[in-house]
Amino acid sequence: MIAPEVLNEWYPVAMASQIRAGQRRQTQLLGQPITVVLTDGAIAVQGPTGSFPVIERFGHVWTCPGTPAHDLFTVPEVDQPGRRLVDVGVVRVKCSPLRAVENFLDIAHFPFVHTDILGAEPHTEVNRYEVQIREDTDEVWATKVTFYQPQAAKSAEVGIVTEYMYRVPAPTVSVLYKTCPVVPGEWDVIGIFVQPLTEELCDVWPYMALFDDVTPMAELIAFQQMIFLQDRSILENQIPRLLPLDPGMEIPTQADLTSIAYRRWLKKRGLTYGAQMVAA
Amino acid sequence: MTTRWIATGLCHDLPNGVVMAGRWHDTELAVWRSASGKLAAWKDRCPHRGMRLSHGFVRGETLSCIYHGWVYGTDGGCKHIPAHPSLVPPKAIRAEAFSCVALDGVLWLAPADVSEAPPRLGGLRPVRSLSLTCGLAALMAAESALAGKDILRGSVTFGGHAVEICLLVQPKPDGITLHALCGASADLVAVSRWLEALRFKAEEKVAE
Repeated sequence: MIAPEVLNEWYPVAMASQIRAGQRRQTQLLGQPITVVLTDGAIAVQGPTGSFPVIERFGHVWTCPGTPAHDLFTVPEVDQPGRRLVDVGVVRVKCSPLRAVENFLDIAHFPFVHTDILGAEPHTEVNRYEVQIREDTDEVWATKVTFYQPQAAKSAEVGIVTEYMYRVPAPTVSVLYKTCPVVPGEWDVIGIFVQPLTEELCDVWPYMALFDDVTPMAELIAFQQMIFLQDRSILENQIPRLLPLDPGMEIPTQADLTSIAYRRWLKKRGLTYGAQMVAA
Repeated sequence: MTTRWIATGLCHDLPNGVVMAGRWHDTELAVWRSASGKLAAWKDRCPHRGMRLSHGFVRGETLSCIYHGWVYGTDGGCKHIPAHPSLVPPKAIRAEAFSCVALDGVLWLAPADVSEAPPRLGGLRPVRSLSLTCGLAALMAAESALAGKDILRGSVTFGGHAVEICLLVQPKPDGITLHALCGASADLVAVSRWLEALRFKAEEKVAE
């Protein structure tokens, strides 16, 4: 039995352009078989017992297998003129969808997993930052996150101290805002949309909305693909595969404040699909 | 009496400054040697975020987790957390240690409270390790010259010579891994070929 709190959320299930081009995607959502298909010019998601509601947003198809508890989140920044919207594509990862999101919220791994790109020794220190649950929107936010990065983006030519804001607007989604290397004062927006196939398997759709009109699209995609494959080598080797919500199971530090808030937020809201409640 | 020690590899596969994955029954371990040759085996899980320590890296007398670079000394205690360089890690942060001994060219694992010494295999030469998708029964059915349970021994004839063979059996969820040793004068390449043929035969027994 999957909890209604889990069923009533929105999840990404396809890239809209592919379905619009006539591709039919047979996939899974929360362990149920679903089909994403174009019917009479509209995208439809068919579940085992009928069709699910659909929202097309951020170039992706979103669906809710229950009764939507709220609207799908928005990212107003992506509509700013001059942004390149990059649908990176899909990466399948043998891990809990929640572990994939938590890793995206983490900066302390940059020097070791994305060595000489998003981080480098000896610049390993994570300065104190601020984390809050925003009650009005019920989202997890981390702000004033700073980190030294040798190559913060494909467009970055020298190492810079990057500022980040992180946001969890849905249980299997995270969006970050980071210093844009080419347009001072603007944020690049990068997200991961995670489709929970099962509790221990997910399809991850990285997404970017960048100020960069120089780098070819293929290179933007390849850069993000490289970063995410480095993350995958971690995600598929964490034990247990489920995200432990029992505080005794793993040892966080001050650098993990976002992860701590995310875990508490999931637990409080009963969003435990992909989580381990008690140590095995 | 059966020993609690299980062979997890051969010493020549773990040079100084290297970490590898090990297993004691269902417990997955990270087995590593420091730059000076000190041996340690820990549960294959960084206490921080559960990452396999066997994917980590050795620097000097320490093993670091590949995820966030947490540094552990050969005693299992966390020495350094790169995200907080000035913090002295609490003593409670430590890898869970197993006993690990290198003896007669074999790496042996047992729970930390083991009291007896590992079995001795004096006079034999380590050859190689190989994994089989079948169980012990199929292996024994494939080669009648071998006898034993955790340690299979026997004299096998190939190339016109009788060769003393010793196979250390390491159970794993989907089969077994064998760590092979042979008589001191045997041809290592010939023994290796014989082992591969044995694997083929044993795995075929299951298919039958």
